[in-house]
Amino acid sequence: MRRPTDAERQEWEANGVLFLQNAIEGEDLSRLQATFDRCTAEARREWLEGIAKGTRPAAHFDIPKPLEKDDVFIDLIDYPGWYGFLMDFADEDLILLAPQVRTLPVSPISYVGWHPDVPHTTPLHMKVQIYIEDVPTDGGAFGYVPGSHKPNAGLCPVVRPLDSMPGHKVYPGKAGDAVLFNSYGWHTAMVNRTLKPRKSIILIYEKWSKDRILTDQFATIADKCTTPDRRRLFSLDER
Amino acid sequence: MPIIDSHLHVFEKLSAEFPREVNEQCPADRAETAEKLLEVMATNGVDQAVLTQIGGTQLVHHRYLQHCLKTYPNRFRGIGLIPRDKWDAPEDHMDRLAENGDIIGFRINEIGGPADPLSQMDVRTFTSYRIWKHAAKKNYVMWLYIRAKDAHQVAFMVQAFPEIRAVFNHLMICPGEGMFSWDDEGRPHINTPIPPLTRYSMLGLHEYPNICVHLSGQYAFSQEAWPYCDLEGWHKTLLSKFGADKLMWATDFPWILEDPGYDKLVQVIDELLPDLNAQQKAEIMEGTAKRVLGFPDVAD
Ligand SMILES: [Fe+2]
Repeated sequence: MRRPTDAERQEWEANGVLFLQNAIEGEDLSRLQATFDRCTAEARREWLEGIAKGTRPAAHFDIPKPLEKDDVFIDLIDYPGWYGFLMDFADEDLILLAPQVRTLPVSPISYVGWHPDVPHTTPLHMKVQIYIEDVPTDGGAFGYVPGSHKPNAGLCPVVRPLDSMPGHKVYPGKAGDAVLFNSYGWHTAMVNRTLKPRKSIILIYEKWSKDRILTDQFATIADKCTTPDRRRLFSLDER
Repeated sequence: MPIIDSHLHVFEKLSAEFPREVNEQCPADRAETAEKLLEVMATNGVDQAVLTQIGGTQLVHHRYLQHCLKTYPNRFRGIGLIPRDKWDAPEDHMDRLAENGDIIGFRINEIGGPADPLSQMDVRTFTSYRIWKHAAKKNYVMWLYIRAKDAHQVAFMVQAFPEIRAVFNHLMICPGEGMFSWDDEGRPHINTPIPPLTRYSMLGLHEYPNICVHLSGQYAFSQEAWPYCDLEGWHKTLLSKFGADKLMWATDFPWILEDPGYDKLVQVIDELLPDLNAQQKAEIMEGTAKRVLGFPDVAD
């Protein structure tokens, strides 16, 4: 399992974001890509029905309950390509909040705009976005304002257009690359001006704190989480 | 403070002079006339209004609207409708309605592109394309109350015609299939999550300079009585994204006359956006509509 170097730890502290090249590769990546496509195809009809009713967003397509769909998604949660970084930054006390197995359709506008996910009053909140296929700069790549995770950053401004955000950086990548970021910081999905939807998986974590999530949230996959580390990560026991 | 009510409906009893369609909401003997409206407006300090066509899409159905616009030239601007079977060639219909300059735009409820957001999007194949194209050519306003299943298509059309002034009705909410019903007072009720999930397809439109949003129709989406506090957060989101200079207040008269009453609607912005400064309030209540829709000074 990879652990951050001192330089990476410094970069994380200073910027709130780390780009992890080839975080998943080879057989693992191929298996993930195939599973992503199969599960997406299976969930597509229900998504389209939800769009028409206004009960599902059209601007992004998340597979419902992915951890129950295939073990390959469970294995991502403590995957060595990023798990060591998360554990280190969370002082070895990490919980999963949710996974998002997400397809982002082509659109002239971003589906979110610049935003932080959580205020500084919540415990350290981190996300890993894994690119399932190559994501070019204009293909809905992740954008982040390095340093905006700090408490003195102030309020996230509303900017027009999206790419006029001062100090922002865009993170294009190859299939298997991942971006780890502190969700206090301002981030967005840049506009996807290509002809190809973006495929990525976003894993949401937090440093453990009491009663943050219910012990039964991941109960349906408890039989896949038998080690003490996994039981903690998936909040399967009272603490 | 001058006030413009930027979206409402008037209609006369069914007659040979003013033919219209009849339904449960607008039976043949019901009238909600311009004179009744002007009286309510005067009582509440409202100066001008946008009359949005109701009662049919054919040219003859617009006669009462045109009569009102002609009778009170400085008070009203009009929004017309286009028959569905004319969408393939809507230009003549649009121009005939707009020829006097007082019908300034057209209301549609579908964009007509692929329902699957993962499809290739070519706006020239969308059913509303010719309407947009002609609106761009003639500087007509697009008045939009679109279905949830079309929400993801709007940005493509706006990108193709960024010069068009487009006004999203009723809080930019896009009603979902099967989510429409009539409430106890015979008014439309839309069952929708708040904030709406279509926001992911819509809020990014604030980047385009000619997109406006109506702060109206609260009664149809709220689960509460006036002042509709469950919609406060969504009003604040629209304000923070679009800014007051892109927001327009409206009542959707006559549906609000009994509940909560026109006077209550005049106050609804104070209730839901209590932190506005005077300039922002003036923009929402009048300035945006006057500038974007080209209202004359009342005294003219
Ligand atoms: Fe986010």
